[in-house]
This record gives sequence, C-alpha cells and structure tokens, in this order.
Amino acid sequence: MVRLARLLQFSDSTLPVGSFAFSNGLESATQTGVVSDAESLLRYVEVILSQAARADGVALLHAHRAALAGNYDGILDADAELLCRRVGEEQQLMLTRIGRKFAELVLKIEPVPMLERWLTDIKAGATPGCYPVGQAMALAHLGADEVEAFVMHQYGIASMLLSAALRLMRIDHLDTQRILFIAQQRVQDDYAAVRDLSLDEIASFAPVFDVLVAHHTTTHLRLFMN
Amino acid sequence: MTLHDQLARLDAARELRGFQTQPAQMRAAGPGKVGELRLGFSMRHGRSVLHDLYRVAPLLVQQALYWDEAMPELPICAIISVGGGVLQGDRYHIAISVEEGACAQVTSQSANRIHWMDANYASQHQVVTVGPGAYLEYLPDFTIPYRGSRFINRTEITVAPDATLLYGEMVLAGRKHHHAEERFGLDLLSMAVSVRRPDGRKIFAEKLLIEKGVGMIDHPAVMRGFDAFANILCVTPPEIAARIKERFGTNFETGAPRAISGVSRLPNGAGLMLRAAGTESYDVRQEVRRFWRIVREEARGRTLPPEFLTR
Repeated sequence: MVRLARLLQFSDSTLPVGSFAFSNGLESATQTGVVSDAESLLRYVEVILSQAARADGVALLHAHRAALAGNYDGILDADAELLCRRVGEEQQLMLTRIGRKFAELVLKIEPVPMLERWLTDIKAGATPGCYPVGQAMALAHLGADEVEAFVMHQYGIASMLLSAALRLMRIDHLDTQRILFIAQQRVQDDYAAVRDLSLDEIASFAPVFDVLVAHHTTTHLRLFMN
Repeated sequence: MTLHDQLARLDAARELRGFQTQPAQMRAAGPGKVGELRLGFSMRHGRSVLHDLYRVAPLLVQQALYWDEAMPELPICAIISVGGGVLQGDRYHIAISVEEGACAQVTSQSANRIHWMDANYASQHQVVTVGPGAYLEYLPDFTIPYRGSRFINRTEITVAPDATLLYGEMVLAGRKHHHAEERFGLDLLSMAVSVRRPDGRKIFAEKLLIEKGVGMIDHPAVMRGFDAFANILCVTPPEIAARIKERFGTNFETGAPRAISGVSRLPNGAGLMLRAAGTESYDVRQEVRRFWRIVREEARGRTLPPEFLTR
C-alpha cells in the first residue's frame, strides 16, 4: 500500500519540479491556431503522447532496466542518447531542467545512491540530466516496474499539457479531465510499440510540431518556457 | 566496413521485417541493383576540385562543374540516377568527403522517386565526411515516395568542429494528383541521420519513421493538411549558428499559410535545424532557399544566386 501511495505522490502534477513553466509547444500551437478548441487539443495531446513514448519513453525504459541491473553506464548512455535527439533549445531546457530538479527533490526525501551519483555528474557537466532518466531511477528505487514507470511518465506529459491548456485557451477543468481520460486510452498501445526498441530506434514524425518548437523561440509574448 | 556489411546492417532493421520477399524480377541487391558512388573533394593548387570519383550504375556523376555565379570557386556535382527512380531491391551507397579547407556542393538531377513495390524494399546508406575548415552543401532534390513504396535511408555524418555542412531531406507525400490513395500511401519511409565529431563523439541523431497505418498524418501537429516537408541540418560552429538563427525569421502565419518554417538549435552545440512544411514542393523549397542563403552568407561570405527558371 505504501508503494502505491508513493507512486501516486510522484505522479502528482503538483510535484514541485517546475513542469508548470513548460507547455511543450502548446503556447505556440494556440497562438498559430493549430490548437483552438477541445477537439484540436485532444489531437495535440495524442501527438505529444505518441512522440513522448517513442523518444523519452524508450530512454525511460532503458534507464529503468539499467537502474534495476545496477548498470550506471546504461544510465549515462540513455541520458546522452536522448539529449542527442532533442532538437530545439527550449525542448532541451525542459528535459534537463526538470530532470535536475526532480533529482534534487527525490534526494531531499530519500537517499537513492545511483540518483545521487547522477546528480553529481550533472553538476559536473558529465551528463545532461534528462528527466525520464532520473524518473526511471527514482521509480525503480520505489519498486515501480517498467510498465508502471512508463504509465507514470506518459501521465505526467498529458497532465502538464492540460494544465498549460487551462492557462492558454478557453477551456474548463471538466473538458481537460475528459481529454485526459480519453488520451490515456492509448498508453498500452504506446508501450507495446516501444518496449522492444533500442535507443538507436528512437524515432519521430511531426513536422508541424517541429516548426512550433522553433516558432516559440522567436515569439515576443511568452507565458511558458517552451 | 565493407559495402556489403553496411548494406547488411540496413537489411536487419526492425521496420523491414515485413518486407523481405524477393521480387519476381531481378533479385534484391543483384547485379545492376547495387549503385555505388564515391565523391572526394580537396584543395588542389588553390582551388577545390573533385579529386576522387568512383561510380557504379544506377548512380552516376560525370564531373564537377563551377556554375554558381555567386560562388564561382564551388565545384558542383549532380547525382544522376540512370534507373529513372528507386526500384524494389535497389541498394545504394553514397560516400562524400570534403577534405581540409575545400568546398563543394552535391545535388541531384531531379526528384528522387521511390516507385511502388510489391516485394522487398530499397535502401540507401550514406557516409558524409567534412574535414577541418571545409564547407559542403549536400541538398538532394525532393524524395517522392509513391504509394506502396518502402525506403530506408541511413546517413552517417562526421564534421570537424570548425567545418560547416548543410544537409537536407525534403519529402513530398507522393504524386499527390495521381491517385486518391497516393498521399502518404507509402508502406515505409525510414530516414535516420547521425552526426559525429572526428573523435567519434556523437553530437546529434534523428530518425524519421513513417509506417503505413501508424501515425496521425492529418493531426494538426503532424501534417495539418500539408503535403511536403523538409528537415535541413546545418552543422556549423556555435558562433555562426547564432548569427544564422538571429537572421532567420520564423514563418508561421495564422490562417491557412502555404508554408511554415522555423529554425531550432541542435543539442551539444552541433548547429541548427530548419523545419519546414508546405502545400507544394516549391513552397517548401522557397523556405529552404531562404535558410540556405543565410547559411552560405554567414559561413562563407557568399550569397545564393536566384533559382533557375527551369527548376
């Protein structure tokens, strides 16, 4: 029971890791009209979840397996390979800033030796510190299996987006909860699609999202950091 | 690694598992199906020349020409595919190297058409090396995957820290006016690129994967009704990247723009990436040329001449 309670704690959207400052392209999507209502928001969330599964999700699963095996080199590998594939300065910032904050938060609460070593390496500039990698280490430590870790990661992405949506567009809390409920349907298929992938097989395809990422770096009015 | 080993590595890719049948015509990777091209550029007597050329049909380069009015020192090679397009069972290998201080441009004669396939697939392996202080523009024309086509492309790039490379992939979603199911009617398009420094450190990697029935082509954040897109990689030192990024204005009008584009920074100080999507190939090409001109001006102090009327 304690295990489940703690997993819930670490998947709570109020976890103070700074994710409230990021919109994952949604700010630009609303400014350019790519997202304008509940329907287009749902479709946006689905694209982001699919992308996250096929990139961050793959790194998370590799890091989780490395953490269980006590293989720290595997952690560094997942960390470097994920950052290598992240285009856009603000996307890189989101990945590494939340990663570092998350590691600091967990280590305040509970000693996790591998996470501690990782945070030391981040501070020394020896590894980038991508969030899904830190998340995998902490969740492995808390006894979450890789499916649970994957679900928590995907949930975190969706809830971050929808919390940003409340501040960016005309939509209410009831609609965002409905969207979250629907979007979660895909998590099993996403896991099945990525569980066997190697880090080299991380892939994506979302040209308009890619332009939105670039768009956000050059807009004058910004509420979010990406 | 031998040509055979390189192509065999591609054959083992997960996404090709469902496409291993042999064509009823000539067998995959048989005689005449393996195209090979090796281009080497270097400085000779104060100018950049094509000093190494090896070719096996269906890939062909004849010679380097110096026809760029704004950059007359630039040797330009156009890759010609004598096969009239990429067919099932074709295996291509392209190696381009530009040695210290040299410059070059490699392009293609016309769109790279990936024909409809009922067996096997086509693959292409590319190795691009840009030496210290060198400059390469490798911008092949649009890839057009026909419906039912399967194409896998792997590009391994090594760039010296003070060199500049402009490498682009532009894709049109099939012959859009040809058939109702032609637009993104492909079976598989898999294009991966990785960039390393000469010491072997990987600084950037990306893989684009489109599989039939998978993905959300018409979701607003994917293609939004556009039919063409481009990913143009500019590997260049950070100070040049900063100047290029500063000058390139993002294009993303609200309403129904013909094309959208923007420039993002690559990780590890590798350089920049132009992302563009548009209605027609020429809408996207216009965005690419806008970026290309700025890259050339900032990296080499030369501009880009107007496009030929015949393009």
